[in-house]
Amino acid sequence: MTRGTALLFDRTSKRFGDVDAVLPTTLPVEPGEFLTLLGPSGSGKTTLLNLAAGYLDPTEGRLLIGERDVTHVPARHRNVGMVFQNFALFPHMNVATNIAYGLKVRRRPSDEIARRVAEALALVQLDGLGERQIQQLSGGQQQRVALARALVIEPDVLLMDEPLGALDRQLRKAVQLELRRLHEQHGRTTIYVTHDQEEALVLSDRVAVMRNGRIEQIGSSTELYAHPANAFVAGFIGESNLLAATVLRVDKNEAQADVAALGATITAPAAPGLAIGPALLLLRPEHVVLSERDGIEAEVEQSVYLGELVALHLRLKTGGQIWLRRQLNQRVIRGDRVHVGWMNEYLRLLPET
Amino acid sequence: MTRLPFALRCLSYAAGNLVLAFLILPILAVVPASFNRSSFIRLPPERYAMRWYESFVNDSEWVTTLVTSLKVGVLATIVAVIIGTMAAIGLQAMQRRWRILMSALLLAPLIVPVIVTAVAIYRTAIEFKLSGTLGALVASQALLALPIVVINVGISLRALDPSWLRAAAGLGAGPLRIFFTVTLPNIVPGMIGGTAFAFLSSFDEVIVASFISGLQNKTLPVKMWEAMRLEFTPIVAVASVFMILVAVTLFVTARLSGTKQPGEAR
Repeated sequence: MTRGTALLFDRTSKRFGDVDAVLPTTLPVEPGEFLTLLGPSGSGKTTLLNLAAGYLDPTEGRLLIGERDVTHVPARHRNVGMVFQNFALFPHMNVATNIAYGLKVRRRPSDEIARRVAEALALVQLDGLGERQIQQLSGGQQQRVALARALVIEPDVLLMDEPLGALDRQLRKAVQLELRRLHEQHGRTTIYVTHDQEEALVLSDRVAVMRNGRIEQIGSSTELYAHPANAFVAGFIGESNLLAATVLRVDKNEAQADVAALGATITAPAAPGLAIGPALLLLRPEHVVLSERDGIEAEVEQSVYLGELVALHLRLKTGGQIWLRRQLNQRVIRGDRVHVGWMNEYLRLLPET
Repeated sequence: MTRLPFALRCLSYAAGNLVLAFLILPILAVVPASFNRSSFIRLPPERYAMRWYESFVNDSEWVTTLVTSLKVGVLATIVAVIIGTMAAIGLQAMQRRWRILMSALLLAPLIVPVIVTAVAIYRTAIEFKLSGTLGALVASQALLALPIVVINVGISLRALDPSWLRAAAGLGAGPLRIFFTVTLPNIVPGMIGGTAFAFLSSFDEVIVASFISGLQNKTLPVKMWEAMRLEFTPIVAVASVFMILVAVTLFVTARLSGTKQPGEAR
């Protein structure tokens, strides 16, 4: 089972009073992997991260880092690097002293500390800023110092708790790419927590989507996007039209269903757990097409210009409403009458919950 | 701030300065009073002289009381700052209901009327045959100064981000190292403030001291109180000037060393 896992949550759970923050969860993290825990607030993602860091003790289950059982090992004996949302830099120390903290604790010789701090500064592209006070740095620079401080101790696992949450939108985009570059460079096993699906898709090798203390689905960005396990994952990752459907027949991986909004009976891949009866059809807005004549008649309710794309909110003659999102050659405005079709091969039937 | 019309601005300056004058003039009045040549305090003095300064310095009883006051102030402050800092840290770590109970107990000396505290301490000091000793004076003044330190350090502690402590632990530091490298440097401003106020509280305290200090260990405020009741000479004003000097020196020093703390720059 544990063939070379860097970190393993083994039926790990955490209860606060009578609230289950994390239900028993088994999750192996591969060496060198960038794994993101994605979910809304209260989904248990930060609790899971704090369990890995050792800031919380699990209620049940075990936690392994490499081959070592660290379930009851305190944070300071775990060799784990943590980057906090507010960075948690020591305000009374300058940049270099902040970064050197973990090395001083480890009683490294002072020439080695100086060398490794300089290397860490270079890694996050803050060369020469070692003497700066923390208060003199911008948010983005503070974020890099926090990262350097966590990396310089050569942690077995790097943990990041919404590290871009305190940065403005412009900067977030740049730092995302920077984090990805750094990960490819240092190759450390990383667990990253965010509620931002775009961040998760850009950064991660694998994403675990969490809800109510449980992992709903885990997979690569493309897997989650193309084959969501349920309506929650489909709604959380990317834009989606979820249309009410009635499943008539399920064969292995395919099912047939009536979809009132489309006025059609369709056959589409079925998510695991799909049964005869009410279900939801996932139709991504980019898979809705406009046509000259065929298809369902519809009226444009709203037209939103998104730069390279246009999003249309369409009221179908069948009574349903869907979003379309694509590059359009012609100009479409509110009130226009159009014909709507869809790309059959991208449909997917999901259980209701 | 919005700019007020000129007339209103003049008025607000005038009102502000009036309040300041009201606060500070009665205190500053002792300075000219101390330079009186006559045996009575006259304001302004008819003739100026250093006569009462000479009397103060040459009177061993006055000098002894000043030294006693300084000694009590320093010792009581050391005791209060050490115990008060530990208490403030302990309070922070407690569960909510214990914290409320314990902080009420720790702040009691500030809330209970001082005369009640004085009677209680006096009674206890007699019981243990400590009345009139330097030890009893230091202990009682430390007790009165304790809440001041707890409050000042508590304010600094609440500004301490708990994630700094978690970050330090994550980097491998044990509880002692975290205390000395993260907690302590960040509560130094509160400790300096607490030290200054604690010293001043013990240095000029008169009610408890007049119960406890016997003939051997009389403090300066007690001596001043006695002197005023017997003969109201300008020597009391001289003693007041010394007390003001100590207080001002203390606060200027505390302010200067306080601003050097990088923790305060936040």
